[in-house]
Amino acid sequence: MDPLLTFIVILVGMYGLSTSKNIIKSVFSVTIMESGVILLFLNLGNTEGGSIPIVSRASEVIADPLPQALMITTIVIGSTVTALALMLCIKVFHHYGTVEWREILARGGGK
Amino acid sequence: MLFVPVYIIFIPIFTALVIYLFKNRYINYLALIAQAAITILLVLYHYAYTGNYENTLFYFGDWHTAGISLVNDEISEAFLFLSVFSWWMVLLYTFEKGKTDHHFLFFLMFLQGVFLGLLQSNDLFNLFVFLELTTIIVTILIAYKKTGDSFRAGIYYLLINTSGVLMFLIGIILLYNTFGTINIQYISTAIHVYGEETAVLFAYVLMMGGIAVKSAFFPVFTWLPKAHGVSASAISALLSGLVVKGGLYLFIRMNEMFAGANINYTEFFYWVGALTAVVGVMFALSQKDMKQVLAYHTISQIGIVMMGLSSLHDSAMFYGGLLHIFNHALFKSLLFLGAGIIIKAYKSKKVGEIRGVMRTMPFVSVFMIVGMLSITGAPFFNGFISKSIIKYGIIDSGIKYWILFVVNIGTATSFIKLSQIFFGKKTMTIRLKAVPQRVTMMTLAFACVVLGNFYIQIGEGFFGLPLQQITVTEWAAFFDYALALSIGLLFYKLVIEPDYKPVRYIRNFKMSFETANYLFVVFLVVMSVYFIVL
Amino acid sequence: MIRNGFLLLLLLVLFSVFYFSLQDLLEFQKTSASYFLEYGLDETGSSNLVTSILLDYRLFDSLFEAGILLIAVSGIIWISKHEIEEKNAEFMIDKFKTPDLFVTFSRLVYPLMLAFGFYIIINGHVSPGGGFQGGAIVATAILILYYIDAEKETNIKLIVTIEKYLYLTILVIASLSFFTRGTFFTNIFDPGTFDTGTQSIYLIVLNVLVGFKVALGLWTIFTAFLKEGR
Repeated sequence: MDPLLTFIVILVGMYGLSTSKNIIKSVFSVTIMESGVILLFLNLGNTEGGSIPIVSRASEVIADPLPQALMITTIVIGSTVTALALMLCIKVFHHYGTVEWREILARGGGK
Repeated sequence: MLFVPVYIIFIPIFTALVIYLFKNRYINYLALIAQAAITILLVLYHYAYTGNYENTLFYFGDWHTAGISLVNDEISEAFLFLSVFSWWMVLLYTFEKGKTDHHFLFFLMFLQGVFLGLLQSNDLFNLFVFLELTTIIVTILIAYKKTGDSFRAGIYYLLINTSGVLMFLIGIILLYNTFGTINIQYISTAIHVYGEETAVLFAYVLMMGGIAVKSAFFPVFTWLPKAHGVSASAISALLSGLVVKGGLYLFIRMNEMFAGANINYTEFFYWVGALTAVVGVMFALSQKDMKQVLAYHTISQIGIVMMGLSSLHDSAMFYGGLLHIFNHALFKSLLFLGAGIIIKAYKSKKVGEIRGVMRTMPFVSVFMIVGMLSITGAPFFNGFISKSIIKYGIIDSGIKYWILFVVNIGTATSFIKLSQIFFGKKTMTIRLKAVPQRVTMMTLAFACVVLGNFYIQIGEGFFGLPLQQITVTEWAAFFDYALALSIGLLFYKLVIEPDYKPVRYIRNFKMSFETANYLFVVFLVVMSVYFIVL
Repeated sequence: MIRNGFLLLLLLVLFSVFYFSLQDLLEFQKTSASYFLEYGLDETGSSNLVTSILLDYRLFDSLFEAGILLIAVSGIIWISKHEIEEKNAEFMIDKFKTPDLFVTFSRLVYPLMLAFGFYIIINGHVSPGGGFQGGAIVATAILILYYIDAEKETNIKLIVTIEKYLYLTILVIASLSFFTRGTFFTNIFDPGTFDTGTQSIYLIVLNVLVGFKVALGLWTIFTAFLKEGR
């Protein structure tokens, strides 16, 4: 039951998001969740004994190419989100001198 | 005419790129030309397809089984007009600044193209791409001022929205494996076959979870005041007035798609909306920062919209909620833009420190008062119309009606508090040269008044709604409004002004990021239990 | 402690709901694989069905996928500009030194990676790969260049400008099909009249453009981070 394992990866990401008190860890948790979603897509799109989705090398049954194509998009989106989040994280550190959510909220009025 | 949706998506994007590349202040006027072109195209499109919206469907590359399609209906077209109108307002308002700041114009125009795409897409994964793209651009716009607060709000917004949108993505794969396609129209015709299956119900729950984060429903609203409070006023106006509504629009579309499934969401989302409204008002009452007050009121107004939208499609209450989206876009933009001018002049955001606006800036004050009357639901202004439709829908059901009434009182109280900035002596003599900004505010205020008086014609023209049952000149309406105002005034004098401990506690209440996510998980589980187990 | 335990319980609920929906899914297992296997090559000219989806069936998505990268690049550059005084900037000092062994090997690997990246990009329509994947490999190769020569300066402005022009070109080429086939965002060569060989020319052009765009975009992002560290 591979899809179950991938769903556990997603849940690990959710656990991390709901418990980590550090911005970097939160960013990583989102990344973990994203990896879980990607694996879930690929797992559910694959059929037992399916070959790669390339016509010249395909057997009668192939893995579904659509989820794979969608996941390339998701990977690109995920990497950009991570990059943007890390850049914001660096900036937050420059301004507050810490990357702990609670300390950041406590400083500077905290609106 | 068929390809107008493509043009209106790509004209702003193309303009954005050209503006970015040339970095010339005369090229920046291209933004206005592009905006005019979109408007003309949209009007032509409206006249070409009114009444036969099924013909608007078209597939990219003519791939009918595997391609992406765009489609429009009454609701999406109304949203298109609203978006283009909002962007006109923001462009005009910021144009003094935008003439030199090409980065800002670049992000603004790109966001417009993406948002217009989000409204028209007929493909689930395409929706996901647009949602994520909106999230990223909005994050950049929030962090645009590059202060510590804006960075913090930006990362908070980015992370929580990304996790929400990922839930939406999981829902997509569940639906794809059930139906073998991600075309929204196809799924909506086939959904009754699998309407009882756990996979479909779980997909519904996950998608609603993602939408709840995007549109700031009750337990997961904490990003909104942070984000809308710190960004520049024009951006706040755009985000509060329109971009949040993207989530509500998806709420409508997804519930249309799942209409054939065995899901009874009316009661659940009514209470989610009611809680959102009450909590939003509660927080708004305690705030002293002008933009924070307005941002929390966005939450409470979203709650009111949800109360309406949660009702079944084609019921009057649903259209009340829909109309309230439009009205809220108008008056909230107006209030934010006005607050922006005032904050800039007084160099302070605190309600307690600003006095004498009426004498210093009579024009701005009049428009702000129009916005306040609209948001509190005074007769002859647009807020009254949509609130009345929602009120008529629930007038017989006791507690539901009283919740709306309490929210109304809260709104009145909070704007009585805000209105004290108008009184007092003239403190400033600075003349602000801001003709485009005044024109923008005048247009918005004018729209508020027009919608509040000619609602019968407009309702019939756009949605084919009979609104004759709502009468502005009824004594009961005035009585209701006066009652809400007087209770609000009393409440303000007795509870809010002395600044008791609970009020201070609510004001200083800050929800940490992990707690917000915790609540998101709780929300998902509650929805799972409500929709699947029960 | 109680908080985390309760959280685990909540996640367990989600897990069990997913377990039951998975039972449904394994029963249905609907895919559209057979459609792509049967028509994919003839309609798009790409033997690699993933590329056929990315560059033809769902080209509209891919345009915005490239657009996301574009937006992120300009956003990151905008955010990383130092205009406002920041307090704790002195914490971020570049302290690491690259080991010599790594540098030597990087010199060997660098041309190979570059060549491999180009191979992936150009053969995207017949073998696994394509513009996005190959672009990432090329970008990685360029990043290794920074380890070889840490003092290397990059003209970010120029790269960003080229990237924007590339995106404009991609948009224009993607919409050329409007003039040849009367519909947006598909192959400019009609599958009815042209064979798959001719169609693949379009795919190669688009793959190369996308590959360069992605490589430049990732390069810029990396450079922005590097500058932030210095």
